[in-house]
Amino acid sequence: MPRFPRLWAALKFIAPLALLLILWEVLIRAFGVGPRVFPDVASVARAGLESLQDGSLLSHAGASLGRVAVGTLLAIVVSIPLGVAMGVSPAVSSFLTPLFRFFSVLAGIAWIPIATLWFGYGFGAITFVIFNAVFFVVTYNTLLGVASIPLPLRHAAASLGAGKWTMLTEVLLPGALPNIVTGIRTGLGFAWRGLIAAEMIATNVGLGYMLFLARDFYRTEVIVFGMVVIGILWLLLDRLLLAPLERATIERWGMVRRA
Amino acid sequence: MTLLLKLWSLYARVSARFPALRSIVPFIPVVALWAVVAESGMFPRAFFPGPLEVVHSFGTLVYKGILPDYLEDSIVRLAVGTAAGVALGIPLGVLVGLNQRAHALLWPVLLFFQAIGDIAWLPILLIWFGFSLTTMTFVIVYTVLFPVVLNTALGVRSVPLELHRAAASLGASRARTIWEVVLPGALPNIMTGLRNGLGYGWRALIAAEIIVGTSGIGFLMFDARRAGSVVEILLGMIVLGLLWYMVDAWVLAPIERATGQRWGLVTR
Repeated sequence: MPRFPRLWAALKFIAPLALLLILWEVLIRAFGVGPRVFPDVASVARAGLESLQDGSLLSHAGASLGRVAVGTLLAIVVSIPLGVAMGVSPAVSSFLTPLFRFFSVLAGIAWIPIATLWFGYGFGAITFVIFNAVFFVVTYNTLLGVASIPLPLRHAAASLGAGKWTMLTEVLLPGALPNIVTGIRTGLGFAWRGLIAAEMIATNVGLGYMLFLARDFYRTEVIVFGMVVIGILWLLLDRLLLAPLERATIERWGMVRRA
Repeated sequence: MTLLLKLWSLYARVSARFPALRSIVPFIPVVALWAVVAESGMFPRAFFPGPLEVVHSFGTLVYKGILPDYLEDSIVRLAVGTAAGVALGIPLGVLVGLNQRAHALLWPVLLFFQAIGDIAWLPILLIWFGFSLTTMTFVIVYTVLFPVVLNTALGVRSVPLELHRAAASLGASRARTIWEVVLPGALPNIMTGLRNGLGYGWRALIAAEIIVGTSGIGFLMFDARRAGSVVEILLGMIVLGLLWYMVDAWVLAPIERATGQRWGLVTR
């Protein structure tokens, strides 16, 4: 057993990526790939440094993350109560399930055209796309989660004297939580992609816009740098926020065994 | 109220006899509500057309042959991309799942590339391949590939070691173990991966069609947006939703029934 297990794990995670970086540089040199096709490591680093210094990276990434935060929080606040309310009655939930399945299939990118028409280009349209990517998926999953709680459990709680509120906080919410968290993770995945796509189409600030603007000038080093930033941001979001959340709920209740 | 209750009980009885109704009837009140809101003139008609106008434009676009053509383009792209993604993804996933070294080496790389996300590749792909079919196919293959690889690897690793050993001690060769033990054991995860991949690939296709913009349902919608025709946008969205229902009911569900449920691996 190594002495610093977490450090060791982090090293083991980073080593292949570092290897990839070396491979990238070697390939560029070996084949003499031009900067208009694919940039070398140094110029990407330079582009990154430049965008850090003039603050453009911060404003683009800030705009993107701000939109995701606003859209997602709004969606979660609305969709969990709605999902629980609809899931309580088996008849209502089985009636509504096909509807929400239909809409959760459409959630996200498919709304970009109509969102830009309703809200105009800019913050409103993009936040709307993120909102509905998360909203429909989370509502659908909450609905399924509440509906999947065995009725005997609810009867047992009721016959032990649980009121409406206790029932909600002690039976319905905990029972649906694994589904809710899965929904949030999936929804955010759709939202993140929707964000990048919407920013390419409908705005003048944000990471997606940064990439698309760089394309106009054939600045591949900026594009690659932007892609790396997008990748790192999503990894951080997923690993530091969503995966622990999922572990804390799903694994605790023994619903999923992780390999 | 009693009328509503009567209607409800009728619905319950009929839908018990014909389960297919359960996925159609719930849409009736939604469409009715939509029609009422559109008729009431709460929103300007151009921004919020009614269902009849959408049906009418469906008729026109089918008659002109635009909709079938675009639909075919989208489906072919999705099918080709998905097939390629699966063909690449399952072997790679088995490799990563079985070989410890390959896992240590490739897992972080796979996670990172998955995190970059398909759509972020569009700008550089446009530089490489221009506004072409290659660009779109690449995006879809990329999108489908990662969920399939990651989930296949997870599934392969979840097959208990004892089963490997049992198969080996019964004289199965390595290839036969993979074919008869590992792959079936990983199938539920592979299906999850395929479902996720299709879900993402589907969205990537729409985004790619909007941005690359030559044909397809995504293009139809964005072209309509440029012309300010909400009717056609709504039509595009409905077609997309229906299409997914068909993919789910005719492609994914049968595969799951034929494999996972038969082996008792998935409970529905």
